[in-house]
Amino acid sequence: MMPVETPRKLPTSSDTTADVEALLNPAEADGTFRDTAECKGGGTLLGLLLLSSPTPRPKKG
Amino acid sequence: METEGSGTTSRLADVVQEFASAVVPALRGGDDRFDLLGSVLTQDDDPLAAAAVRVLAADALAPCLLAEKATSERDVLLFRQAIDGYPPTPDAAVPTVWSHWGMRAALGRLHVGAPGGETHQHTAPDTAWVAAQPWQRMTHQLAQLASLALPGLPSPLATAVAARPVDLARGFVRAVRRRDWTQAAGAGRWLTVTPGVPSSLGLPAGLEFVRHMGGADARVALHVRAAQLAAERTRVPSEASV
Repeated sequence: MMPVETPRKLPTSSDTTADVEALLNPAEADGTFRDTAECKGGGTLLGLLLLSSPTPRPKKG
Repeated sequence: METEGSGTTSRLADVVQEFASAVVPALRGGDDRFDLLGSVLTQDDDPLAAAAVRVLAADALAPCLLAEKATSERDVLLFRQAIDGYPPTPDAAVPTVWSHWGMRAALGRLHVGAPGGETHQHTAPDTAWVAAQPWQRMTHQLAQLASLALPGLPSPLATAVAARPVDLARGFVRAVRRRDWTQAAGAGRWLTVTPGVPSSLGLPAGLEFVRHMGGADARVALHVRAAQLAAERTRVPSEASV
C-alpha cells in the first residue's frame, strides 16, 4: 500500500496574529551587567585580604 | 513539550531572521535592484512570509528606502499583504500601531511620483508617550520602531524624539551596558537621525561595537548597517558635550 502524504498545513493570517504581536512587542530582555563599581570594590577587598598580615596566633609555651 | 503556538512563534522568528539576513547584504551594496523574495527560501504563498514582513515592517524594503534600490512587484505585493493582513486593533500597543503607520508611509514614499502611485496621507498615531515615558522605557519602545528612523522621512515621531536626544543617548549606553544588542542597535539607529546628540557619546564607534558583539543576529546587523547608511546620508549637528 502506498503511503499517503499528508499535505502540509500552512498557518493562516489569523493563526499568526498573536505571534506577530509577540515579536512586535517583546518585553525588555534581562540585562547582563558588569557593574564597574562592584567589580572594583570586590577586587580591592580581595587584594586587601591577600596582602593583609596573617592572623596572630597564640604563642606556644 | 512544545505547543503548536510556540512552534509557530519559533518558526516565525526564524523566517524574520531569514528575511533580515537578505536585507543586510543589499544594504551593503550589490546591484540596483532588491528582490527580497528572490533572496530567501520561504515562498510568498507561505503566510509566515507576510507575517515576517509585518514584523520587520518598513525594514523589509530598507534597501529601497535607504539605498534607493528598485523594488520588485512581488515584494510590494507581499508588503501590501502584510499591511492589510495585520492591521492594528483599537487597543494595540505603541510599536504595533506605529510600525503599521511606518509601513504605509514607506509604501507611499516608494510610490510618490509613480503613475497611479499613492501618497502618504494617513493620520499619524499619538506621540505623547515619547515625552511621558521614563528614558529607559522610551528607549525600549523606540528601539522596536527603529524601522521608522529614516533620513528624509519627516514624521511626528521623529519630531517627538528630537526633543529627547540626551535621554535617548542615555538609553543607548544603558542598552550597551546591559548587552541588549537589539535595543542598542535600534536606539543607535534613532540617534543617527536625531539632532542634538552629544558628540561625547562616540556613536560611530559604539555602533561598530554593537555590530561586533551582536551582529550574529541579523536584525542587529540590519539596524547597524541602516544606521551607518543613514549617518552617511545625514550629518546631523551634534553638541560639543553632555
